[in-house]
Amino acid sequence: MGGNRPIKFRILEILLDGKEYWNYEIVSKIQEEYGMNSAYGRDSINFDIIELASGGMLKDVEQKIDEEGIYKKEFLLHKYVITDFGRSRGSDACLRNL
Amino acid sequence: MDLRTLKKQESKRKISKGYMWALFCAVFWGIWYLPGTVVWVLNPFDQMQATIAKTGGDGTALVITAVLITAFNALTVMVALMIWNGVLGKYGELVRTLKEFHPCSKWFFLASIFGGPMAILGSFIAMGFIGGAFAAVAGLLYPVVGSILAYYWYGEKISKRAAIGIGVIIIGGVTIFGGGLLSDLSSGNVQWIGYLGGLMAAAGWGIEGAIAGKGLDISEPDAGLTLRFLGENIIWWIIIVPLLALFGYPMYSFALQVFEPMTLLVLIFAGITFGFCYVCWYKSFPLIGVGRGQGIGNLYGLCSIIFIFLFFGNAPQWTILVGGTLCVIGSFVMFTEDASALETLRGE
Repeated sequence: MGGNRPIKFRILEILLDGKEYWNYEIVSKIQEEYGMNSAYGRDSINFDIIELASGGMLKDVEQKIDEEGIYKKEFLLHKYVITDFGRSRGSDACLRNL
Repeated sequence: MDLRTLKKQESKRKISKGYMWALFCAVFWGIWYLPGTVVWVLNPFDQMQATIAKTGGDGTALVITAVLITAFNALTVMVALMIWNGVLGKYGELVRTLKEFHPCSKWFFLASIFGGPMAILGSFIAMGFIGGAFAAVAGLLYPVVGSILAYYWYGEKISKRAAIGIGVIIIGGVTIFGGGLLSDLSSGNVQWIGYLGGLMAAAGWGIEGAIAGKGLDISEPDAGLTLRFLGENIIWWIIIVPLLALFGYPMYSFALQVFEPMTLLVLIFAGITFGFCYVCWYKSFPLIGVGRGQGIGNLYGLCSIIFIFLFFGNAPQWTILVGGTLCVIGSFVMFTEDASALETLRGE
């Protein structure tokens, strides 16, 4: 069903299962679903995740250095989990008219 | 490099970028008062005002003209934002967001009612009646409205520090409005509609912010802002302008006369500065927090006074200077509060 809802809706939807995800896992999933395979597309999805985290909907639970270049070599990778607020906003937005 | 230095480096980069966006916002917003003030003396708007004043009186003429100016402002902002979204390749996201009316885009349309016919129209009225510096500084009162609304609507707590900030801003507001009012009273000519416009700007932006936030939580700001201005264009061009034309005001005949190079240039200038001030504003929030973003953004009051002085040579009344300074101090007191939690702005 991907590709036809706003990107932030989809990100919340992925995280609604309550599991922890690394940012590169979410980014590559969205890139594939929305056909945003450029470096620009990647950064713009990652910024969406940062915005959701700063809005209090995701929580940054763990960081590690990207030594192998999975995402961006020598940059930080972040692991996120959905918050209660994110869960209520997310289910409000995503579980309706699916 | 170890994890700690890398973390520090990343957060430093994030913060300096955030401050840069917020500062750009203040500069763009401050510049907007230049075309906003100049446009009043350009054709067809000055003729329109004179024509309507003959039959309907000065006050009506000014408000009706302000409606047409605000409508054109919304149109040029929309053009600027569509170009911006095109460059970023976000038309797809724009359509996806628009389709989510119930959870998302309805908030932007609701926000546009308060942002457009209230805040921006009020600003133009204040610019037309009293002047750019007054309009700019009166708008600085919006955080008071925003936080009181957030308190009653989603039960956001107002801390002691925020309350002090609100108090300082209110004293500033009283100075701005009271000072002008006193000198008006002594000359026996009170520009009530202009002061009302200033209050509309403050209340409108406060309400708009609280409402738009509900939609912006879950959408991309570039798309969200464009929808907010789509809403405003619908309000002006499909509802209010035709309605006023129906009442017999010469809306269309003057609207068609804006294709003069100078007028168009000024209107486009207004659209670019206003459109990008909004974009910069929202870009800064995730990087430095809504609080600091708005605090720095509020330096627009200072910027506008400096620009108006540089370009028009108008030194504002001392009450506007003192009141504006108090408002900026107050918003810093209010907004610098959550210094510890940079990555998360809300409680969990």
